[in-house]
Amino acid sequence: MTDESVIPSTVRNNSAEKASNKIPVGCKDKNTFVPRFLTGVVVLTVLSLIYLNIDWLKLLSRVPDVGVVFWDLAHFDFSDMDIIFSSMLETVSIAVLSLLYSLILGIAFGMIAARNIFKITWLSVLTQSFFTFLRAVPTPVWVLLMLVCLGMGSEAGVAGLCVHTTAFFTKSFAQSFESISDETMEALEVTGTSRLSIFINAVLPAAFSQIVAWTGMRLETNFSECAILGMVGAGGIGYVISRNLQNYNYGSAGIAILLVFIVAYVIERLFVHIKKKI
Amino acid sequence: MTKRIPLIAREQKRMYTIFIAVALVLFIATSFYTNFNIMTLAQNSDAFWAFITKDFFPPALPKASRIPGVLSSVVVTLALAMSSTTIAAVLAFFVSLFASEKISPFPKLAKYVRGFATFLRNIPALVWAFILFSSLGIGTGVGFVALLITSFAFMVRAFVETIEDVSQDCVESLQAVGAGFWQRVWQAILPSCLNGFLSWFLYCIEVNIRASTIVGMVGGGGVGLTLFSYIKGFQYDIAFSIILLIAAMVIVVDRITGKLRKEILK
Amino acid sequence: MDKILKFENVSKHYPNGVHALKNVSFEVNEGEFVSIIGPSGSGKSTILRSINKLIPISDGNITLDGLLVSQQKGKELRKLRRKVGMIFQNYNLVYSLSVLQNVLHGRLGYMDGLKGIFGLYSEEDKKEAINLLNELGMEQFCYNRASDLSGGQKQRVGIARAIMQNPKLLLCDEPIASLDPSSAKTIMDLLRDMTRKRNIACIVNLHQLDVAIKYSTRIIGLSKGEVVFDGPPEKLTDDVIERIYNTSRENLMIGGAGNDKKDSADCA
Repeated sequence: MTDESVIPSTVRNNSAEKASNKIPVGCKDKNTFVPRFLTGVVVLTVLSLIYLNIDWLKLLSRVPDVGVVFWDLAHFDFSDMDIIFSSMLETVSIAVLSLLYSLILGIAFGMIAARNIFKITWLSVLTQSFFTFLRAVPTPVWVLLMLVCLGMGSEAGVAGLCVHTTAFFTKSFAQSFESISDETMEALEVTGTSRLSIFINAVLPAAFSQIVAWTGMRLETNFSECAILGMVGAGGIGYVISRNLQNYNYGSAGIAILLVFIVAYVIERLFVHIKKKI
Repeated sequence: MTKRIPLIAREQKRMYTIFIAVALVLFIATSFYTNFNIMTLAQNSDAFWAFITKDFFPPALPKASRIPGVLSSVVVTLALAMSSTTIAAVLAFFVSLFASEKISPFPKLAKYVRGFATFLRNIPALVWAFILFSSLGIGTGVGFVALLITSFAFMVRAFVETIEDVSQDCVESLQAVGAGFWQRVWQAILPSCLNGFLSWFLYCIEVNIRASTIVGMVGGGGVGLTLFSYIKGFQYDIAFSIILLIAAMVIVVDRITGKLRKEILK
Repeated sequence: MDKILKFENVSKHYPNGVHALKNVSFEVNEGEFVSIIGPSGSGKSTILRSINKLIPISDGNITLDGLLVSQQKGKELRKLRRKVGMIFQNYNLVYSLSVLQNVLHGRLGYMDGLKGIFGLYSEEDKKEAINLLNELGMEQFCYNRASDLSGGQKQRVGIARAIMQNPKLLLCDEPIASLDPSSAKTIMDLLRDMTRKRNIACIVNLHQLDVAIKYSTRIIGLSKGEVVFDGPPEKLTDDVIERIYNTSRENLMIGGAGNDKKDSADCA
């Protein structure tokens, strides 16, 4: 409800009629922001396209090649199935393991980052801004750094994924914790309960369903992140896909991509199902 | 056997138990499979720490002659995200009209349109990039198309949900009036869903800023490629300042989209 | 009096197995004010929506103004729909547009091409819309967003939109179910007066038995998809009511009052 409706419509009617003799039909207190926003988007997009200077003709001329590649991808080659399956399992394992570690870390850091648990404001602010930084850098960058630090292998994958996932959980969990009313906290405080005990007995159970929801949502992201990690050098299904594509081994790559799709789809459906139940 | 007095409702307790049991089983199985052991990681933490403090700190600037190039690569990343998201949004709007049984003039096709979008969406952007690189060659144009595909598919889903949430009633009333399909779209669906669409569009921009950095790393150009080349060249201190730059870029964009979203949903 | 609408042995099965209408036959003449009453799930909404083919029927014939509804497609269907105004329980306005724009939506069925799509209405249409809003006592809200109105006001906009179509028949799907008693009376009075003045036949789905008796010239009682009563309100005896609702009249009145309260509470 807006307060601007006090302007009598007849006044506005007359002034508009003077201008064009036409009866206006729109709202009198129109949201002028959206048209301005849309104009801005269009201008920025055009500028971006000019700046990128993409050679569209060359791109279009190669479109038939895309068809050929997809045709080749659809000719499944089942000879490498054992490698594909084991690397898929590895990818899923990395995704799940990093999720579990991050869950514990996220609850711990979320507790610190939430302003209403320990009530040390500077610590909360410090934690939150640190994790905002970690979150702003895309996962593959972290994985790349971990590869440099820890060497090739799934350790780097788990550790790299953990950085981003923990940062994500810390922020979301802190939000859930902070949504618990101060009155509830106060009521427990006056009984002389310690802060940690309040957290475990009151705050955590109250936020439980939200934690499950965040975890499910993150599993989807983690899996697709994990599937691409191989492409920047860590193991798993991504490595199989990129190597097969580079070696023009399209049949195997096609199967691996299809498998990525199937697993991602199953996780998505599963999550929708769980969300309905909660 | 003594029966303890339960403190919480039984179903709730069962849910906790299941949750923790599943987590534990998964933890053991996956730790075993990936050979990931937190203790060995902790034992190596000295070397790890030394690596971070020695090689990454303090962040160093690249050579002065390289700085304009780095900055322009940031602009490329931003431009890539911006243009691909906008074009994807326009395409997604038109396609989403045909992807909902309740709106589409061809309700029987709606399921297939949605299925197609689901397929595109569930394959990560980077995989698309790789498929396209192998057919179209490396370049910004391919990065653009890869981002376009995934954000298009994502927005089709989001737009369909928005349309079905918001505008079903008024679409029915315009149908009763005798309005045609495009009249219903322009007079009922667009006015009532526009703000929802724009909010999703902003979300997609946030996602695509990160995605375009990643696609850049494997050959799409932009700041991702710059970072990748510094890491490959073992210039970790410079790489670190590029990481800071990426973080700053993402945070600034998130702030801006957050402000815009508030303004739109007001 | 001319016949406007004719139902002949109309049946409707939904894909989920529900048998919503069973061999329904009735006729509606010009200028009649017909109420359809019956418990929830008796097929009231299905009848209304089958008249303008929002829901296609499975069997039988519906003739509207001399045309067979089931045969109309595309452009012909649009032409047919604009002869039939419709008013909804939830008003079904486009809340982000102005009141005037919502009323003008009634003209969309007459407009083709880009003009209709972008809502470039003619000046006559706009004047007519404003006159209509005057008649409904809504002139000061012309340029308000439809979302800023109260329930009763929204329904008046709904009526204006339907009348804008110049309809021969007005369908009202529980028009007062979401309103408080005083707005409900205003809306029913308006519906009766405006349709009488313009000689529009009107079919109203109602939950409130007393309202149906007070306003209608004819009542159709539905039970489990079958017409169990069709006649003037005076003939609606207690045992007929019992047949329609499977419960005595007294239970119904108390239940009805309770429902009213619940509905208005939902609305608030």
